[in-house]
Order: sequence, then structure tokens, then C-alpha cells
Amino acid sequence: MDPPIFYSKTEYIETDTGNKVSRRATIAGPQNIILGGKTIISSGAIIRGDLRRTGAGHAVVISLGRYCVVGEGCVMRPPYKTYRGNFNYYPMKIGDHVHIGANTVVEAATIGSHVEIGKNCVIGKFTIIKDCARVADGTIVPPNTVIPALALFAGSPGRFVEDLPESTQETVEAYTKRHYTRFQPLDR
Amino acid sequence: MAPIRDKFTIHSRAVVCQDVELKGDITIGSGSIVHPKATIFAIAGPIVIGSGCIIEEGAIIVNRRKEVMRIGDDNLFEIGCRIECPTVGNSNTISTRARVHHTVRMGSYCSVGAGCLVVPTEDEILDDYTVIYGPAAERRIWSGRGKVQEADLRKKHAEYLREMLPKFNRLRRGEGS
Repeated sequence: MDPPIFYSKTEYIETDTGNKVSRRATIAGPQNIILGGKTIISSGAIIRGDLRRTGAGHAVVISLGRYCVVGEGCVMRPPYKTYRGNFNYYPMKIGDHVHIGANTVVEAATIGSHVEIGKNCVIGKFTIIKDCARVADGTIVPPNTVIPALALFAGSPGRFVEDLPESTQETVEAYTKRHYTRFQPLDR
Repeated sequence: MAPIRDKFTIHSRAVVCQDVELKGDITIGSGSIVHPKATIFAIAGPIVIGSGCIIEEGAIIVNRRKEVMRIGDDNLFEIGCRIECPTVGNSNTISTRARVHHTVRMGSYCSVGAGCLVVPTEDEILDDYTVIYGPAAERRIWSGRGKVQEADLRKKHAEYLREMLPKFNRLRRGEGS
């Protein structure tokens, strides 16, 4: 049994679906952000929901699945480009059981489920990360990279290192669930 | 050392978010954009930022020298970069998490790649169109191809931000404007 990770009760806000969001995180445009439930946003994280696609109606900018963790000091912002002469930001979609390490900058287009991203990484614009992939600490992934399923990427620029075992999905799922249950408020 | 006197001159067409740390004598030109959580420190001398610059979140601009730090027009400072150069030309791109030391003077149309460290021990001037890339901060010269497209993207980006940022963020105004 792992020891619990304690946090002070006053620092985090818990929603009905079990999301835990630090008060010290900067969240711009919260109406454009979807959290799937049981997701933890650590202190110092910056999530830019204000950089939305132009056009009428409600626009989702960043959607995170269940059991995700956004580490301390992470920056998550949607990618931008011009398409047919029009400048736009494009939505960012992140699956379930995704852990993002501290101080990582994410500008990906899509991140699949069961993905682990280390700390101090830079994930370039319009990167696509498939399911069960892993990005090692300090990796710099250039823009428009596609990281295939069950691959470990590392280095600067990020390159393929090795295949991950097929059991990755189960181990990551168990790990993220355990991490969420370990993350307990410290009552005082 | 004398305490730092705050004096901010922000052009009425510039967009500077409330959640920005400013210290010292800072001038921000027309149409420049400063995202929330950016930091601009004029420790010793003043900082003058031209027009159409984009300074993203977590970017740090520091002036440690007595002279005026001049930043030209249409520069892009991406997330978490750190700039201390005394002069920066026009249309430069400093990518995510890059660091440029105070010994470097930057020309125009330069680009510094993600996570690059530019820390020469002696003073040097980066020529126009220099590209710094990779983990070892290698250099080469850009042919200038796609320059118009790049400038167009920058212009549209700034235009978009000028329109969208005030809708979601509180803005900061200069003194007396």
C-alpha cells in the first residue's frame, strides 16, 4: 500500500465529479474547459481556455478525460495556425488516465488515453500522441509530430526509443487510479 | 542601490493582461500583447518594447544593464522563455523555454529553438536570419524563404489576440491613459 499524498484542504476545490483544482492554478476561460472527473490540476498550472476558435456558438477549447493529472507549473494551451488564410486556435483533446509531469508545456492537438508525459517537456504545436505512449522527462517534441501507440519517446528533438509492453494500458490505468485515491486532503 | 521606480507607459492599443508582473520603467508600444503570468523586469535600465510584439505566459524579460533595453517590432516570445539581451531587432521568434543571455545582441528575423540556451561568455551580435536550434544550440542562416507568410501569420495572430484576450482577461492600463 502506497502512502497517501496529502494536500491542504483550503488549497484545492473539489467538484461534484471529483475533480480537484488548485486555487493557485491559473485557469483562463473556464467555460471553455471540460474536465472528465477525478482529474487533478496542481498548483501553478496555467490552462488557457480563452484561446478559442472564432465563430458562433459554444466552443470547447480544452477537454480532459477522467483520472488525469496536470502537474505543477504546467502550461496547457491550444495550438494555432492559419488555414485558408484565416488565423485560428484549434481545440485540444486529451483522453483518460493521462499524467502530465511538472513544468511541461503542452500545445498538442490530441493526446490519447493512458499516456504518460514526464516533467520539463515541451510538446510542440499540433502534436498527436496516440494511446499508451510515454514521453520521457525533458523531451522536446517538435511541432506536428505523431507519437505512435505504445512508444517511448525521449531526447531533443524527441525520438523513438523503444516499444512499451502490451500491459502498459493496465499498469497505467491502475497507477492513475491509485494516484487519485492517494491524493487525500489533510484535515486540520 | 536605489529602489526601483515603477513607471509604465502602455500604448492605448496595446493589450496587457492584469496578471502580469511589471517592475521598473517599461514602455509598451502600440498593438503589443502581453499574456497573463508574463514577467517584465527593468532592474537597472528601462525597457522599451516596440509594436506588434507577442509575449506569452511565463516569458521573462529582464534588463540588468543601465542602458535602455530596446525590443523592436513584431517579435514573438513564447511560453517560459527568458530574454536579457540589451537589443532585439524586429520579427524575431524566441521559442518555448529558450534562454538568451545579456551578452547577446539580437538582429532581425532570428529564431531561437525550443529549450535552446544562448549563453556566450563574450559579447556578441547575432546576425539577421540566424537560426539557433537543437540541444547543443547549433547555428545556421535562414534563407528567408517563407518570410512573408511568417510575417502574415504573426500579424494575424496579434490581431486575433487583440480581439479575444480582452473578452476573457482583465486588462492593465498605463498611467494617465
